[in-house]
Order: sequence, then structure tokens, then C-alpha cells
Amino acid sequence: MSFDKSKIDKALFEKQNELQKELDRLKLKDEEFVKELQHLTLQTEYIDGKIKSLSKVIPVLKTIRNEAQELISTISDLSELSEKINEKVKPLEIARCRVDECQKRVSDLVDIELSSQGVQTAIINEDYEEGAGHVHRFLLIDQSLLQRTASEAENLSSVRKAVQTLQDAASQLRTIIKHKFDEAVHNEDLGSVERFFKIFPLLGMHEEGITKFCNYLCMKLEVTSQKNLKTALNTTVADKRFNIVYADTMTLLFEGIARIVDIHHPLIETYYGPGHLLSALSILQQECDKQTKLILLEFNKHRQLTRRLNQISEINKMSNSSSFSKLEKIDPKDLDLLIHEVTIMHSRAELYFKFVRRKVTMDIEIGYPNKEEQVQKLYKLDMVISTSDLNQTKIDLLSKYLQLEHYFMEESINKAVNMDTLEPGQNTSSMVDDTFFIIRKCIRRATATGSLDGICAVVNNACGVLENDFCGVLRNRLRQGYPTGYLDLTQAYNVLQTSLQQGRLQSGDTEQARTAFVVALNNTSVSIEYVETLCDTTLSDVGQALPNITSNEKGKLESCLSGLSSVITNLREIVEYGMQQLRVSAIKPRISPWVDAFLNINHQLTEDELSEYEAGDTFMNTLISNLNSLLFTFKESLTSSNYDVLVGVVAAEVSSRLEKVILKTTFNRLGGLILDKEIRSLAAYLTTTTSWSIRDKFARLTQIATVLNLEKVSEISDYWGNESSLTWRLTPTELRSIMSLRYLTTFKKSALIFIND
Amino acid sequence: MEDYKFLFKVVLVGNAGVGKTCLVRRFTQGLFPPGQGATIGVDFMIKTVEVDGEKVKLQIWDTAGQERFRSITQSYYRSAHALILVYDISCQPTFDCLPDWLREIEEYASSKVLRILVGNKIDREDREIPVHVGEDFASRHNMYFLETSAKEADNVEKLFMKIAEDLMQQARSKDLLRYDKDTANITGKTSVITDSNCCSRLT
Repeated sequence: MSFDKSKIDKALFEKQNELQKELDRLKLKDEEFVKELQHLTLQTEYIDGKIKSLSKVIPVLKTIRNEAQELISTISDLSELSEKINEKVKPLEIARCRVDECQKRVSDLVDIELSSQGVQTAIINEDYEEGAGHVHRFLLIDQSLLQRTASEAENLSSVRKAVQTLQDAASQLRTIIKHKFDEAVHNEDLGSVERFFKIFPLLGMHEEGITKFCNYLCMKLEVTSQKNLKTALNTTVADKRFNIVYADTMTLLFEGIARIVDIHHPLIETYYGPGHLLSALSILQQECDKQTKLILLEFNKHRQLTRRLNQISEINKMSNSSSFSKLEKIDPKDLDLLIHEVTIMHSRAELYFKFVRRKVTMDIEIGYPNKEEQVQKLYKLDMVISTSDLNQTKIDLLSKYLQLEHYFMEESINKAVNMDTLEPGQNTSSMVDDTFFIIRKCIRRATATGSLDGICAVVNNACGVLENDFCGVLRNRLRQGYPTGYLDLTQAYNVLQTSLQQGRLQSGDTEQARTAFVVALNNTSVSIEYVETLCDTTLSDVGQALPNITSNEKGKLESCLSGLSSVITNLREIVEYGMQQLRVSAIKPRISPWVDAFLNINHQLTEDELSEYEAGDTFMNTLISNLNSLLFTFKESLTSSNYDVLVGVVAAEVSSRLEKVILKTTFNRLGGLILDKEIRSLAAYLTTTTSWSIRDKFARLTQIATVLNLEKVSEISDYWGNESSLTWRLTPTELRSIMSLRYLTTFKKSALIFIND
Repeated sequence: MEDYKFLFKVVLVGNAGVGKTCLVRRFTQGLFPPGQGATIGVDFMIKTVEVDGEKVKLQIWDTAGQERFRSITQSYYRSAHALILVYDISCQPTFDCLPDWLREIEEYASSKVLRILVGNKIDREDREIPVHVGEDFASRHNMYFLETSAKEADNVEKLFMKIAEDLMQQARSKDLLRYDKDTANITGKTSVITDSNCCSRLT
């Protein structure tokens, strides 16, 4: 029971607490309400004031609204008004324009009146400039408008009469001017020619003026050119310029035309306006074609170009059909001057066309602002140039040049090879320098023609000659081999050396053959350098001579030059071939016995034997001194790059031979020690003899020596295995067999299981 | 260094106006230029194609057919890997000249050069040379044969792709040969078969 009671008490107590809390909350709310009420009462006053002031503003706003409406109506009125005014002004403006037009027409009519009076007097007074001026003024007036004016104003018969007079005067003047011009040309009165030339455009005879004037200039050109040609034909052989006299005549012709253009172009531009140069030039071009043809005719006749070309193609045919010739060959030297002249002719024509193209293009660009018209005119210019006889002549000249140059190059190189001589003290013979001098000359000459196609063709031909003929000669000489004979090599060298010093080479077939072989080897390796230089210089020469070539054209040239790099590949193979020859005949037979001496030496030494061995002539001392004398025989006679290659060959040969004999020997600890020392000294010696690194060739040998030099067999684990930084050149099997060379004395066979595959 | 493994020179020859330039344009640029003027000297185009996943660069030399350019064009024969001899199937004289062209190829080109005979302009109605006549000629002279139309793009792609494939096969077998030879050398230098060295050094 008591438990129940206390439970009830507790519940009551809780209820009471709750009620108390609610009461507190309500009290607090009540207070808040009171505060709010007070606040609102305070605000009432402020709001009242506001309402009062607002009610005062209302009437003012009303006024503003009324005024604004008034303003709107005023503005719309104004706009209406202005529109009305505008409507009235428009016709006025049109009227004003008409008045202007009328005024102009009246002044035109007045002018016509005046002109019609003036033109007659002018014609009578032979004042053609003024007469033409009147006609020009008349022609400027819109003719159809004039007709209308005349028909509309029928009562103004004087106008019609004036127009008639002027039309008559114009045709009269045209006839007179043509006649006068022809007369002036006939009398060679330059002043009058120019005077009437200037009148043509005033009479609207632009094309006719240009044609007549240019025909006159062509006449002048013909006279000068004929005179020049006659002088050329009379030039004596003694004259300095005899050999290029036809090229000179052609140059004079081109320069003459260029001068005409330079002098008369401003004249044409001033009186005829821009854009007339094309028609002028197409007329001049005809004369140019005519004169070039005449010059070339004489050139062909006197230089016998065609005959020589026929002869060359005949020779080429004969040499192909193996029935080698009774036909007399042309000495390439005789062609030299002719080729030179052809080159000049071609380059002058090229320059001339460049000049024409530049001048006319500029004139067209100014004269025809309309793009479409411009393109059309430029196309016409292209046609004028490409269909001109001179252009055909230029192409033919290039073709002839290439035939001559090809023959020249081939034959000159042929000659250089046949006349090959070795100057004492030189590593290479004359044919290398001569050949590359010739090729360089030919390519330079091709560059001088100014034709990229010409340059490319000569480069292609040069590649052909080098790859087929030149490389063939070198390869053949090396194919003869390096004879060893019965003489000791050192001795042979001495003989060779003295004969070189004394400038005679008859001391025996073998020595001569040896020298020939070594020189051919040197020639080949020097040629590689020369070809590289040739490639570079050609590229820079052409870049200078033709600065404006497109990237496609450059690609073309580079592609042709890449033919030279296949020549280099060829030459490298020949050097390689020669070195193999040398290795087989001169290196290997010498080195083998020297290295084989190793087998006669005891490599299981006691301490006493070791000191005794080291005191005497060791195997390595002998080998090095032998190698030294062997290399010395070649040191002077080979070029440095060939010598380096040779040292490499010797090093490879020695190390492989040495490896073989080591495998046939057994070692003890001291034997291994000596071997290690000796191989180090060998590698050190060969390293000093060359600028190339040859340590690589001794990598295997050094490792073999290291293995044989181990104190204890277990030391191999320091070297062998994954942790080791050493790159092994030996396979595990090889390593095992090498270690077994010491097994007999020191290592236990079981120890070799260290080496796992 | 450009990204290609093989570089081949292809030279087109044949009479003027048989459509050499059009064939080259069709292949390299995919267009047929009407009213083409005569080629001056030699034109040069490059297109890289893919054969068996390998990039092959074709250097195409489009020569002028006119006699007067012969001494320029002849100089390109020697280094060509492939020679395309083109005639016009609607023009008997261009076919009749083929023996002359073969003589020229014989004289100037390498004996190993790949030779292809192409009869162009099969879009034309006025055929003068029947297919079998062209075929006969080609087989007699040991050449590939194909008829094309540069205008309609017929067989043009096929022509050049066939050349690229053949030359690549040739080069690969030669490459193997060279490799064998090289291993015998002590220096073990490998020689490069494409002669692009100079070009890449210059650019």
C-alpha cells in the first residue's frame, strides 16, 4: 500500500511541477503582449503624420500628370509637322539634282559648241594636241545622252550640228594622227613619234596607239639586234669574249627590251593609264622571238652544237653496244666553253622572263582592281610567255645543256680516273679530288642556269656517275686484294716508304699493288666526306641562287640530293669490303702466330718462376711490340679514319684469337694473375693507338681474366648473380668451362655449382 | 624525322597527254583537274599510304611527256623503284610508242625496277586499243597491266597500292638478305635500306 501511495505522491508532484511551468510561460507571454501593445500605441502618431503629408502631395501629382499629357500631344504634333515638311523637301532635292544635271548638260553643250569651233581651227593650225583635247572632251560626254538631248531639243539645231562637226573632226583627226605617226616613223623623227603617240589615247585609240608604237619600237630593236649580231660575227678569236659572244648578243637583246620597258612604261602609264603593258609586251615579245631565233641560228652554225650533240649520242650508243669504238671521242675539255655559253644563254632568258613577269604583273594589279579580271589577265600573261618561241628555245637550250653536261661529267671523271696519280706524301690519289672538283663544277654550272629542273637533273646524273662508275672503280681496285707475298711486311713498308719519298713506284709489283690497295681504301673513305660536303654546299648554293623556291620545289631538290646518301651507303660498304680484305690477307695471318705463342708459356707458375718470367721478355711485351710494328706500317699510309677502323679490326682479331688460346691453357692462381695483368696492358696499349673507344672489344677477355684471377672459387658469387652490377658477356656455360681451366689446380669441381643458368 | 618505314620512288612516263598528271592528282589529291596544261620538266608529289599496318611513303615523279624534256626526265629513271608506263586507250599512237619507251627504260633504269603498263582513260567511249592487246603487250614484256580512269577514279588507288605492296615485299626480302650478310661481319653494322638519311638530315 505504502508503495502505492508514494507512487501517487510522486505523480502528483510531477503534475504540480508541470502546472507551475505552464503558469510561468503564460506570465511571460502576457508581459510580451503588453510590451507590444505599448510599442504600437507609440507608432500611431508617426503614421498619422505620414498620412497627412501624403494627402498634401496628391493635388501636385495631378498637375504633373496633366502637364505630361500636354507635352505628349505637343511632341506628336511636332513630329507630324516635320514629316509634312520632309515630304515637301524631297521633291525639292530631286529638282535640285535635275538642275545640276541640266547645268552640266548645258555646259557640255556649250563645250561642244566651243569644241566644235575650236577643233576646226586646231586642225587647220595643225595643233593636234588641242584638237584631240576637244575631241577627248567630247568623247567624255555620255554619247547616248547627247543623242537624246539633240533629238529632244529640236529647235536647237546648232547642237546637232556641233555634234556632227565633232564626230567628223574625231574621225578626221584619227586618220590624220595615224598618218602623221606613220610619217614620223618613216622619218625616224622620235620627237614626233612620241608626240603623236600621246594623242592616240585622247581619241580613244588606246590599243591602236600601243600597237603602232610598239611596232615602231620593234623596228628599232631589230636594227640594234642585227647590228649587235653583225659585230658578234666579226669578233676575232683573240677577243676576250669570243667564247661567249652569242650569249652576249642575246644578253644585249634582252637588256634592250628591258630598257625599252623601263623607259616607255611610265610614258604609257601616264598617257594611256595602267594595265596596257601586257599588250605592249606581247608585241615586243614577237620581235624578241624573231631576233633570238636569228642569234641562235648563227650560234648553232658557228659552234656546231647540233653536230656535237649528234656525236655525243653516237658515242653513247656505241659504248652501250659493247663493240667499243673506233669512233673518236670528244675531249670534254673542248665542250667546256660551249657548255658555259649555253648556261649563260639559259640563265639570261630565265632572268628576262622573270623581269617581264614582275613588271607586267605589277601593272596588271594596278590597272585591274577587279580580281576576276586580274586573274584573267595574269593567265593571258602566262600564255604569252609560255607560248613564246623564246620559252621553247629556253627549254631546248636546257635540254642541250643537260646532254652536254652529262657527257662532260662522265668523260671528265673517266679521264680523271685514267690519269690517276699518287703524289708522294699523300694518302689519297688525284682521282678523288679531281672527280669531286668536276662534279662540283657541273652542279655549280647547273645552278647558274637558274632552272631547278636542270639542277635536279645534274644532281641525278652525278649520283649515277658516282654510284656506277666511280664506286665501281674503287671496288675493282679493292677486289685485287692486299698481296702479302714473300716479303716481311715491315720490310715491304720500308720499300714502299722509300719509293714514295723518291717519287718512283717501280720497286716491284707487290709493293705497287699494296700501295694501290691502301690508296683505294683511303680514296673511298675520303669520298664519303666529300659527298657529304657536296650535299651541304649544293643545298646552300641553290638556296642562294633561287631564294624564292616553294617548299614543294625544295622537297624536289632534297629528294634528288638524297640520291647522294645512297652513294654514301655504297662507299661505306666498299670501305667495309676493303677492311675485310685487309683483315684476311694482312692482319689475320700475322696475328695468329704471335698470339699462338701464348700456348708455349707455362701458366702454372711458382713464385720463383713468376719473378723470373716478369724479369724477362713477357709474352705480352712481345705481342704489343709486334702489333706496334704492324700498325706502324699502316699508320702513315692510311687516313686517320681508316686507321681507326683498322685498329678496331686488329683489336677484334687479337681478342678473339687470344680467347681461343686461353681456352686451350690451364692456369693456377699466379698464371691467372699474370693473364689479368697482361690483358689490361694490351687493352691500355690499343686504347692509346686510336681515338675511338675499343674497350668494348676487350670486354669478354677482361671478364675471362677476372674469373681466372680469383683467389677463392667462392669469390665468383661476388660477381655472378642478380645482385651484381657487372654485365656479363659470358654465358654460364662459357663461364663454367673457363673456371674449369683452373679447376685442375685450385678449384674443386663441386665449387662450380655456384654458377646457375 | 617523319614517321614512315619505307620510301619508294615511283616515276610515271609515257606520251604527252595520256593523263599521267591526272593519275597522280587523282591519287594524291583526290581530284581530276580538267584542262590540265602540259607538265613542264618534272613534278613531284608525296603520299604516305599504309600497307600491313606499316607507313609507306610514295614519292611520285610525274614527268613531262614532251620530247624536249627528255634529258630532264631521263635522269630520274635510275633511282626509280617503280616505273609506270602510261598510254591512252583511245589513242593508237600513244600505244605505238610503247616500244620506244621500253628502250628508254632499258637504257636508263635499273634492271630490277618494277614496271607497270597502264591503259588510261577507260571512261572514254572511243576505245582504240582493246584490253587484250594491252594485256598481251604487258605479258610479253614482263610487266604488270592495269586499265584505269583518272576521271572516274577507276583502279587508280588500286594501281598505287599494288605498287606499294609489291615494293614493300621486295624490300623486306632484301632486308632479310642484308641482315644475314651483316651478321657475318665483325662490325655488325646494319645498313639502312631506305635512302631517306640525307633527306631527314637536311630538313
